[in-house]
Amino acid sequence: MNDVKQKVSVMLVDDHPMVQDGLRACLSFYEDIEVVGSTCNGGDALTEAVKLEPNVILMDISMPTMNGIDATEIILEKLVNTKVIIFSMHDSVEFVTSAIQAGASGYILKDTTSEEVYYAIKTVLNGKTHFSGSIANTLIKSPKKLENEKLTTREQLILSHIARGNTSKDVAKILNISFRTVEAHRRNMKVKLGLNSLAELVRYAVNHGLIKK
Amino acid sequence: MIFSFRLMFISVIQVIITASITFFFVTSEYKNLSNESLKTLQTFMIQQKEQELKNYTVIALSAIDHLYESADKDNTVTQSLVTNIFDRILYDNGNGYFFVYDDKGVNISHPIQPHRVGKNHWELENDKGEKMIQILIENAKSGGGYYRYNWVKPSLAKETEKLGYSTYLPKWNWMVGTGVYLDDVNKQLTTIQNAIGIHINKTKHIILFVALSSIFAIFSLELFLNFKHKRKSDIKINELNQRLINLQEEERRRISRELHDGIVQILISIKYNLEATKMKLTKVKVEYPESLYTGERNLNTAIHEIRRISHHLHPQILDELGLSSAIEALVVEFGKRTGISVSVKKPAVRKLLPDHVNTTLYRVVQESLTNIEKHAHATETTVELFINRRWLTLTISDNGNGMPNIDNQPETPNGIGLRNLAERMAYHSGVFDVKSTQRGTVITAKIATSSFSNYYGRSNLEVVA
Repeated sequence: MNDVKQKVSVMLVDDHPMVQDGLRACLSFYEDIEVVGSTCNGGDALTEAVKLEPNVILMDISMPTMNGIDATEIILEKLVNTKVIIFSMHDSVEFVTSAIQAGASGYILKDTTSEEVYYAIKTVLNGKTHFSGSIANTLIKSPKKLENEKLTTREQLILSHIARGNTSKDVAKILNISFRTVEAHRRNMKVKLGLNSLAELVRYAVNHGLIKK
Repeated sequence: MIFSFRLMFISVIQVIITASITFFFVTSEYKNLSNESLKTLQTFMIQQKEQELKNYTVIALSAIDHLYESADKDNTVTQSLVTNIFDRILYDNGNGYFFVYDDKGVNISHPIQPHRVGKNHWELENDKGEKMIQILIENAKSGGGYYRYNWVKPSLAKETEKLGYSTYLPKWNWMVGTGVYLDDVNKQLTTIQNAIGIHINKTKHIILFVALSSIFAIFSLELFLNFKHKRKSDIKINELNQRLINLQEEERRRISRELHDGIVQILISIKYNLEATKMKLTKVKVEYPESLYTGERNLNTAIHEIRRISHHLHPQILDELGLSSAIEALVVEFGKRTGISVSVKKPAVRKLLPDHVNTTLYRVVQESLTNIEKHAHATETTVELFINRRWLTLTISDNGNGMPNIDNQPETPNGIGLRNLAERMAYHSGVFDVKSTQRGTVITAKIATSSFSNYYGRSNLEVVA
């Protein structure tokens, strides 16, 4: 992938066509990058990403139908080789940690330069992470570690399905993902919540108002 | 309200009028009736007394009959025997006696006032100028008659009204009289009259009581209806108020989104267009004009400003990541700005609450932190969001010096006010509580878990893929 001859395929997910066009215009100056596709919302991004299997997705957060963080998590369940960089105006550390939880490899602010965008794309392709300067600062200053205790959107959804009496197999079918992915989510949840059994998971879901008693 | 007051006024007036009319009618009727029967009673009692007197006189005359019939015209011996008999006929505890005068008014016998014997009383007058003895003699001569006059009653030793009856012994030219005193009759009549007065008084009291209790009932009913009406309208006003607040929040959210997702995105695209321009210039080896830099700088300022306004109107993080993340961001920013040490505890789950509740709880934290910053002089603050089986509980506590009572807290022009927050929480069927001491303040806002346990499932389970 580092081969200069081999172009990096990039997909843009942003609900604003003008931003897409501007970014496209900038990226067109880099010969090793090719924008292979773009969508305007999180929901479309899921199908489009599976179809295109891009190397990198630049993902906005605030979008209709599904936000970028939730879309990232679902896309990465299926495309293990794709890297996602969140590309947003939100600079609060909460967004950054949520994005990291969802599996994003980088987080850059929209008011950055196109040089940084290019640099971030190259960095995540090498399996590293990249955060915009100001965000990196907040992450370092923030005394709190990345919150591992919080459930991701996907995990919470799976938990509510399980609490409704669905088996992992059912859930896999409902969400159109593999059985092993569901099982992995279940394991993660148990670790995060410090719970041991299915019964405890169900009780947790009920007690926290995820489903009706 | 004014209408109902007028209605009440009319009802009260009507009660008063009815009560007065009833009172005057009943009492005057009763008085008339009683006076009539009193008169009848009096007449009856006098008639009884008259009959009595006649009977006594008949008995007395029959006692002397045998002496009188056989005696001569001027038999002084028989005459003194007869007066002796008369002197001894006493009745009614000595109040009843017989007296004798001749036709010239000279007293011949008087058992109670012996000093009158032998003296002439022809001219004896009472207050009204009646010559009493003359009248008695006249009555006697005309076959017996009754006469009411005042005389000393022996048992009382003072003058009272007396009903006298006199008859004539023509052979000796004697007038024989006796009498009963009417004071007991009068006393009886007065007693009855008093009883009537008491009865009328009683009637008056009953009517007064009925009238007053009617007025009281009208007042109470009015008060009750008013109270109910006021409570109803209070509830309505509060509901309207909350609906307005919800609308306002909705509007703020919409404008915030328009700014952030609309205007800002356009500005961003302009930024990239400027960048593309720069790259183009680099490619053709032309130096950037100064105005390009200025334009970029100003654009950045614009983006920054609009984002600030957008965030102030409504924090998007609340919609994107949920309440706990929004609170965390708020608290971190608060700590950074004020230097107060802050800690946050929150559950592992999120996006459980409907938007309005979410926004309200967010405003609770926002307002509490504003209060802490302005008044509390605290060094530590803890914000905790906690869910258990029954409640979602939000607490904001500090170690400051407390705050003024929630009810007399001054309304700050920019702040929402804790009282308004309490009302908003109540609108969402929640609980709001402020406990403030000199060692700190704890603000608690609670929402029943049951009130939102359906929300997550309804809004999220459709998300497939």
